Amino acid sequence: MNQWNETQPIFIQIRQRIAQMILRQDVKEGEALPSVRQISADLSVNPLTVTKAYQSLVDTGIVETRRGLGMFVQEGARPRLLAQEREKFLTEEWPRIKAQIKALELNIEDLLRQDDTQAGAKA
Amino acid sequence: MSNAISPVTTTQTPAVDPIVHARGLRKHFGKNEVLHGLDFDIPPGRIYGLIGHNGAGKTTTLNALLGLTSAEGTIRVLGKDPFAHRAELMQNVAFISDVASLPRFLRVRELFALLTNIHPNFDQAKARSFLEGTDVKMEARIKQLSKGMIAQLHLAVVMAIDAKLLVLDEPTLGLDITYRKRFYRRLLEDYMTEERTLLITTHQVDEIEFMLSDIMFIRDGELVLHMQMETVSGKYAQLIVNPDHAAEARAFGPIYEETRFGQTAMVFENVDRDKLEPLGQLSTPTLSDLFVALMQRTPANAGAAT
Repeated sequence: MNQWNETQPIFIQIRQRIAQMILRQDVKEGEALPSVRQISADLSVNPLTVTKAYQSLVDTGIVETRRGLGMFVQEGARPRLLAQEREKFLTEEWPRIKAQIKALELNIEDLLRQDDTQAGAKA
Repeated sequence: MSNAISPVTTTQTPAVDPIVHARGLRKHFGKNEVLHGLDFDIPPGRIYGLIGHNGAGKTTTLNALLGLTSAEGTIRVLGKDPFAHRAELMQNVAFISDVASLPRFLRVRELFALLTNIHPNFDQAKARSFLEGTDVKMEARIKQLSKGMIAQLHLAVVMAIDAKLLVLDEPTLGLDITYRKRFYRRLLEDYMTEERTLLITTHQVDEIEFMLSDIMFIRDGELVLHMQMETVSGKYAQLIVNPDHAAEARAFGPIYEETRFGQTAMVFENVDRDKLEPLGQLSTPTLSDLFVALMQRTPANAGAAT
């Protein structure tokens, strides 16, 4: 039942899920995002936690609050978000993944090729 | 009073009066003191979890703040003494308990008519709309409803009372998982706003862990923990200890240690995470892990901790 990982604060994990929705274009620029209340009820989390997640996206110019209407994806949010997420991946996650690949003596090109053939086999 | 309790700091709403204010709250049953002087404030807009073993004093505390029992010390709910102004307060305070019962001989329709007559803040239209989409029919007799349906009816009633404080004492006891989920979803969807406050006691803490904004642990009539959920990770850490580092980890004075299936978990209080990180797998304890850790701790330890 636990939909959360224990290593990150919940608001960060909710923020990531909203960011994913925007990156996948489930919600496009200028469109409305789910309300704090709806997310809170869907995930059984405190509304203040959801507000905090949205606030961090407002602070980075991805989401805007329209008074009385709710949360909307800002114009130009997707490229901005993509840049932020790439930067975050490269500084926070990639060094660890790279080290792991090295430690296990894996070859990146082999890995990518293997992945493609598997994807091809499924399709 | 144990100094392990962190004062509540309301960073977002510093000037707002608390919904519940308790100072030196004590209760005796004969010679036996069951509450040993509780001090706490509950600000508006929060979802509070009051957690403790059976007999720790949860229900006595709730009864004191609902005006169902007299107590020593100070207790104010919405600025009023609940024992002296119970009738008045009940316009703004609603309560669901496992033991509180609805009149079984009435039909749902008759219950709503009765409440419309006796309760100034009961909105019958709202109660009816809450029941739409449930299996509870207006013509059904309450005694014929299942336990889950009664819980839904009860929730519809309290949500139709525009209460500023809603107290839930083991609200989902005996309900199956589907009803429990639906119950909490309804609360978050239809009840919670910035002006409203929810106080919940439950044994199924895992289910509401992330709903809560604040927690209070009560043990033997004393508050042993009172803090905002988001500050828990700054104070407490759980370490799945790498066997090679067990002695090293133990040197940091864990407040709790448990070995399960060959794996040792330790809980630390106010120990720098950077120091623990190299010794194993570090995380924030879940509410139930933290509860177990703090309940097993000896009281002398609790006093010496900070």
